[in-house]
Parts: sequence; structure tokens; C-alpha cells
Amino acid sequence: MNEFNASRSSMTRRAFLGTTAAAAAAMTVGQKAAFGAEEIKFWDMVWGTGASYTAAAKELVGSYQPSGDNLGVRYQSIPWANWYQTFTSAAASRTTPAVSSGAAFLPFYFIEQGVIAPADDVVAGFDKSGTNDFLPGVLDAMKTDKGYAAMPWSMDLRVIWVRKSLLEKAGVEAPTDWQSFIKVGEALKKIDVVGLGLAGGSTTTDGQHTVSALMINNGGGLFATDGTLDCVTDRNIETLDFLNELVRKGIIDPYAASYTSDNVTRDWLSGRVGMGFGQTGLDKNFPTDQQSDLTVISPIKSTRGDMGTVYYINPLMMFKTTASQPSSEAFLTWYLDNMKVFWEKGVAIDVPVRKSIADLPNLKQNANLQKSIAEWQPVGKTIGAQAPRPFGALNAVDGGGAGAAFIQQIIEGKTASKQILETLQAALEKVVK
Amino acid sequence: MTTSAATAPRTAAALDPRRAGLGRTFAAAIVTLVMLGPILAVFWLALRPRLYTDITGPTLETFGYIFANTDILLWLKNSAMVSILATIVSVMVAAPAGYVLSRGRGGAVSAYSLFIFVVQSFPVVVFVIPLFIMFASVGLVDSLGGVAIIYVASSIAVACWMMSAYFDTIPVTLEEAAWIDGCSVFGGFVRIVLRNSLPGVLSTAIYSFLLAWNDYLVALVFLRSDDRFTLPIGLQTFFQQNQTDWGPVMACAVVMLAPPVVIFALLNRFFSIGGIGGSLAGR
Amino acid sequence: MTLAGLALPAVVLMAVVNAYPVVYAGIQALHDGDLLNLGNFVGLANFRDALTDPLFWRSARFTVVFSLCGVFGSWLLGFALALMLKPNFPGKSVFKILLLLPWIVPIVVSSMSWNWLTATPDSLLPVLARDFGFGRVMFLADPTMAMITVCLFKIWISYPFMMMMMSGALEGIEPNLYEAARVDGANSRQQLRYIVLPMTARSTYIAWILMAMFSVNDFATIYLLTGGGPVDSTTSLIVLAYRSVFQDFRPGYGVAISFLMTGALVTLSIILFRQIRKANIA
Repeated sequence: MNEFNASRSSMTRRAFLGTTAAAAAAMTVGQKAAFGAEEIKFWDMVWGTGASYTAAAKELVGSYQPSGDNLGVRYQSIPWANWYQTFTSAAASRTTPAVSSGAAFLPFYFIEQGVIAPADDVVAGFDKSGTNDFLPGVLDAMKTDKGYAAMPWSMDLRVIWVRKSLLEKAGVEAPTDWQSFIKVGEALKKIDVVGLGLAGGSTTTDGQHTVSALMINNGGGLFATDGTLDCVTDRNIETLDFLNELVRKGIIDPYAASYTSDNVTRDWLSGRVGMGFGQTGLDKNFPTDQQSDLTVISPIKSTRGDMGTVYYINPLMMFKTTASQPSSEAFLTWYLDNMKVFWEKGVAIDVPVRKSIADLPNLKQNANLQKSIAEWQPVGKTIGAQAPRPFGALNAVDGGGAGAAFIQQIIEGKTASKQILETLQAALEKVVK
Repeated sequence: MTTSAATAPRTAAALDPRRAGLGRTFAAAIVTLVMLGPILAVFWLALRPRLYTDITGPTLETFGYIFANTDILLWLKNSAMVSILATIVSVMVAAPAGYVLSRGRGGAVSAYSLFIFVVQSFPVVVFVIPLFIMFASVGLVDSLGGVAIIYVASSIAVACWMMSAYFDTIPVTLEEAAWIDGCSVFGGFVRIVLRNSLPGVLSTAIYSFLLAWNDYLVALVFLRSDDRFTLPIGLQTFFQQNQTDWGPVMACAVVMLAPPVVIFALLNRFFSIGGIGGSLAGR
Repeated sequence: MTLAGLALPAVVLMAVVNAYPVVYAGIQALHDGDLLNLGNFVGLANFRDALTDPLFWRSARFTVVFSLCGVFGSWLLGFALALMLKPNFPGKSVFKILLLLPWIVPIVVSSMSWNWLTATPDSLLPVLARDFGFGRVMFLADPTMAMITVCLFKIWISYPFMMMMMSGALEGIEPNLYEAARVDGANSRQQLRYIVLPMTARSTYIAWILMAMFSVNDFATIYLLTGGGPVDSTTSLIVLAYRSVFQDFRPGYGVAISFLMTGALVTLSIILFRQIRKANIA
């Protein structure tokens, strides 16, 4: 009787361990089956309008018919939360997909590490077929010593938006330079509207985008033209002094130090924010009847008379873990030729990087987008400015802890500009080797 | 309100089972209302219209949307499978281990106890990459079974403790009587101790279940395919780069609350809330 | 022997899952590589860098504050609620379940809800604070307030666990002890002091240790609410370690921090363990 009980219990335990193993086995079989079915994987971030973007992308990839010996493609959506964990753990264990979209500087890190294959053949393919209509400078921005790190598919360009109704209410015209920006901000402040909306919280990079845009606006940046870290420059100090003036005059909201990007979007919606940097699709967040209240203004001149902004080029990269490199390249080329549906359906909120897409009828009608492409894109640079080209360590600059503390110190407004920049320089020296 | 224990009249009522009535119900209702403010917010936010729609004002549309347009039922099923598997394994492994902690004496048991302690102290979140590499090499990545193993490993130390503390309350004389009747140590454990430990088992199970049910850090890294997403990962599909679709997130959250609440409500009859504490309090 | 057999499954499981990651991380801690390459052997340089970094010590300080709040704040609140729920009264079981909800709600969701209640000037709590004459209260944007808010969030998330522990402990007290005390003329405060607290001491110690462990290792609570900001004011050691590994791509440094943290935690807990034994003897 005792023996019976004992063995029954241990059997049960074994059975459960067995279940786990079976689940593991099922998983392995599943993977094999995927290879058996001759498919490669495509990972895609949750871009644009979120769920509706993902649905559109899934549908697009589902319609892909590989030609010749090329393999079919399976779509997998990847959440933004903790994306660096997802990608680095996959790369470290060699379980990366064949093709993937991702954060702007990830390909530069990965190509330095030899994890992804250069996209030179894909670029050559576009040249050969005469369909290379990428906007000026966009492909060049992907160049590294080892070839093109990735293919660009859209551009997160930061432009200054204003809410016309709020400016009218405050009785001011849109600013054209830093001096008039402060004037407009003061007028908005009088009617309790924030003049430079931004999200400075530690889990978003929105505030860093705004500050980078203004540094580039003043001809500055975090790096020198030889690619070395160079935060403490006169131009950057001027930019931070300008920001400090905005803080002191209440044009920047002190609450912004903890804002998530969602918080600032809600403030735009509620009419609390009247002006600020945003993506070119900011108006898409609004109900249809209010979208026309939002306008992109022309780039503003800094005190020195410079213009500029920051952009991020959203990349598509090809991992070396693919079952077939030609299949990866064939799919990538096809995808770039067919992704215009995202803009046709209105699920992409970034700037298209191909002229054929930018010229789509519905985009031609979008005055804000056309202005962004015509006036803002040419003066844009990456957060690698003024370095000649992006590099892998920018990953740690974009979204690292140092950047967040930097923005929050600016919003706090208690520390001298030079000292803030020195702190940033010291912190970044640890991550940019 | 929360310091009511310190005021004499309230404490009198607190300690005397006979002197509480509707007055206490009223007080408890107010305290509960304050404590649940953020949860009421979740319900309120679940009524928000989705982004990119022109609906204004509270709506139940989000609930219809998540059931019609997302895989929420699949996420629910995956979450339930992982959590139940992890819970069962956790209890089955922790019960005998806890028995050893409770009854065993001497250096080996102390070392064992310290080992459990040290293991529990390691932060999974920092070690996730080597863990991932290891699981990838045996094909346990993107597998609900693999995730369940990690949950078991994360909950086992506390589970051992909970079980051990409960076993402490069961007089060892009961087993000794059984041993004299010819019962093995293992038989005594199963037939005498485990049989009398339902509250301890349930408390341990609930702890393990909630740990698995609510986790998102492990699942986010280890689960890669839509059809294996658990609910907390499913929630992430509403988080865009620059904005969050609150309505559906909160509607999912409301759905996600239901199973544990039902479990608590059903099990409430079998064990007093503090089954664990009661056990730990023994001696 | 049988006892060893009973302990075996748990030991094997813990060893198998933890051994490789810990050894791997240990090796990383001695190197200066990134997430994909081990890099050069640097000895204990990562540990030295950590111990000489002012941010490490600020984070350590916040970890202590956060954990003390997590342990004692949630214990006080949980204990008070357990006392409230002790006698029978109409609706008791409903309140018991409702009060557990903060533990049941996924933290991804509750952090959003807290953000919604506190983040912007139009949020409920800042508006209430203004209406009650406290002026402009920035619950998350002011470094000091952010620390307080994160600690309150932690207490709110953790009290149900404490409430469970302590209600059980209260149930373990023989009712006739109160009876005897009353006969002896003890008032409620004295009953609490001389019966309830001593009789629940063991549960209390265990609850403290468990919660200390949960708090020190608690990444999600802090990260999801503030991300460690503003200006690193709510950066705890685990957040710092996480950021070093995954955002700064310095795994060696991050792992070194987490080892230092684990070491301190284990040492501290062993001391507390001794206390439990003493409490047992008493």
C-alpha cells in the first residue's frame, strides 16, 4: 500500500516533467516543420498606428509569392517594449530571423559585430532595374566600412508642429527663429498653453529627439566631425541656454521631466500643448475633424542663423542566420517595392523614403508631409551629428540612461548649461568606446 | 484609515470577533474604495474609445474590438496553460523539498536552505541573456514549456518556504505513529503530512500562479510567435512607439483580472486568506 | 536518504536553471565586452568601477529606501487591513478578495493606471492636490516626489501579500488568549502589544525577509513607473544593472552590480535569519 502510494506520486511527478519535455519537443518539431515548409522569418516592430499597421503588414507579407527557388516568408510582430533584449538575446543565441525591421542604429551595431549581411546587392538590384528612387542622402546614411548596413524603409523626421487655433487665440504668428519662438511661447504661456511640448521621462527618447533637433538646429551635435564625442561645445551651450530660457519662462512644462510619449500626445490632444517637435504623422492621433488644426511650420533659424533637425532612418536588415541569403534579398526587394500600401492605407506615420511613395496622390495632398519632405528633410541629421556617418555605439546613446538624465536636468533648469553637457560627456564616454 | 490598528477603540473591535457589525462593513467599504482607486481607473480607462476612431465619450466598443480583432482568447489559453503547468510543477517540487526543510536537521539541511536563499536572490532580469542562450541550445525558446520552467525556477524558493512553514504546524508525532505502523518516510509524507496540508498547498499554488500569470519580462524575451503569446505580451501589441492604445489595453486587463478573481472567490471557502501566514505563524 | 531524495527535484531544477547563467554572468563580470563578445579580461575592474561610481552609491541608497518602504510600509498597511478583516461582519469575504486586487492586476497595467492618475497637471491627483491647497505637486517629475510616489506604488502593490501573511498569523492565535487577557483587565492596546505582536512575530520576520528579497530585486515596479528618473532619483541597483546591460551594452558592469547587490542581500538576510531563530527560542 505504501509502495503503491509512493510510486503513484513519483509517477505523477515524472509525468509532469514529461509534459514539460513534451512541450519542449513539440517546440523543436515546430521549428523543424517551419524549415521543412521552406519559410524564412520576417520580424517587424509595431510601427505607425500600431494594431492596424501590424494587420496591414501581416496581410502584405501574406501576399508574398516567392519566385523561383526562393523561400516563402512568415511575418512576426515584435513589441517595442525591451526590444534591445529581444534582439541581443536572439543575436547571442543565433536565433535571429532572416529579415527584420528595428530601431535606427541597431544595424550599425550588428554589422560591426558581423551578425547581419550588408545590403549592397539589394542596392545594386535597385540601381540595375532603374528603380532607385530613394530620397537624397537616405541610402548614404546606411553606408559603413562593411557596406550598406541595412535598407531604409521610412524616416522618423522631427518637425515643428503648431496648433493654429491656439496660436490665433494667443494672437501670434508661427515663429521663424529662436527669438520669435520665445515670443510665441510667452504668448501661449499667457493662455496656459505649453510652447514646447516634449516627453522627458526615462522610458522614452522623445525629449532627446527634441533637444538633439535643437542642437543640430544650431549647427551642433554630440559628436565632432571626426566622429569623436564632443558634447561641450559653444554651439551646444547656446542651445542649452536657449532651452533654459524656455524653462525659466514656463514655455517648457516642468511636468515634462517624467512624461511618457503617450502623456505628451494626450496633452497635444487636450490642447494643453500648442507647439513642439513631433513625428510627421502627429496629426493622425487626432480625430479627423481636428486634424486640420495642426500645421507643420518651416524650419526655424537659430541665433547663429542655422537650420536643422534630427531624423531617424527606420531600417530593414538581413541577418546571417537566414536559411537562404538570396531569399532574404528577394523578399527585401519585393517588400520595399510593395510597402506603399502602408501610406495608401494611412497606417504609416513616418516619412516615406522613396519618391514613388512620396508622390502617391493622397500624400501629395498632405501639405504637412510635403512641407516636411521639402523643407525639413534636407536640413536633417542623425543623433550622430556632426560625425560623418552613424555607428554602432549610437545605440547606447539613443535611449540610454545618460540621455534621459541629460534631458531631465535641462527641464529641471537648475544646472548651468556647460555643467549639464560635461555630465553628459562623462556619461557617454563610458558607453562610446 | 490605514493606521486604524493604532487607535484603541478600533483595535478593540479588531481583536474582538463579537463586536463588529455593519459599522465595520461601512469602514471596510471606504478603505477598500481608497485602496482600489487605481483599479477603478483601469475599469474607467477600459471604456475609452480606441485611437484613430472618431468615437468620443465612454464606450464598450473596446471590449467588442478585442474579442473580434485580437487573439485574446488564444492569449488567455496560453496564459492559463503556462500558469497552471508552472503552478502544478512548482507545488509538486516544492512540497517534498519543503518537507525536508521542515523536518530535516543538521548541516546539510542548513546548507540546502542557504542554497535556496541564494538562488532566490539572483535577479532573473540581469541573467536573461545567458538563460536565453542556454534555453535556445536545447530548443526551449519560443515554447510555453520553456517559459513555464523559468516560472517554476523563479517561484520554487518561496514555494519551498511556504510549504515548509505549513508543515511546521503539523505535529511530527502524527508521522511517527505512521512510521511505527510500518509506513515509509515518503509514505508518511504523502499520506499524513500532505493530506493535511490543503491550505498550505493552495497558498503556495496561488503564489506560483500569480507569479506566472502576471509575468511579462520573461515572456517578452522568450516568446516570439503570435500563437504562443501570453496575455501580458498580447497587451504589448497595443503599445506603439509613441503612444499607447489605452482602451484595448485596459479592456484586456479587465479580462485578465477575471480568472484569478474567480479562483480566489472559489477557493475562499477552503482556506482563510492567510493560509500561508497561518502556517508560518505556527509553533 | 529518503529526505535527500525528496529534496532532490528542487535542487536539480534550481541548479540546472541557474548554474549556467550564473557562471556565464560571472565570467562576463570579469570582462569588458558587449552583449555579443566577451571582450578582454579585466579582472575586478568592473567591481572597482561600480564601487567608485557615485551613481552606484546613489542607487544603493535608493534601493535601501525603496526596500525599507516596501517591507515596513506594506507590512503596516497589510497588518492593519488584516486586523480590520479579522472579525466577522457582513461582506467580509468580498472585501478580502477586493483588497487582493492590487496584487492580481498585472504590473504593466497598474503602472499605466498610476501614471494616468499622477503624471500630467490634468491628472486626478495633481488636480486634487491643487484643490486642497498644496499648490503644484509633481508626483513623478520632481525627483523627491518621484521617490515618494514609487515607494507608495510599491507599498500598494505589496500590501496584499502582507495582508495574506498577517491574517493567517492572526488566525493562528487561540481566541481564549484574548479572553484570558480581558479577564486580567488588559485593554486593546495591551492585547495588541502583549498577545498579537509576539504571537505573530515569526510570520512577521518571514514576511519581512521575503519582502526585502522581492523589493531589492524588484525591477518592474520602478522601471514601468519612472524608468529610474527623473535625473536618476529613482534608479535602484537593479534598474542600474539592467540599464548597464541592455541600454549601455556594458554587461560586465551590469552583472558586477547585480553580484554586489546579491551579496549584500544574502548577507543581510542571514543576519535576519538569526533573528528568526532567536524569536523562535523566545
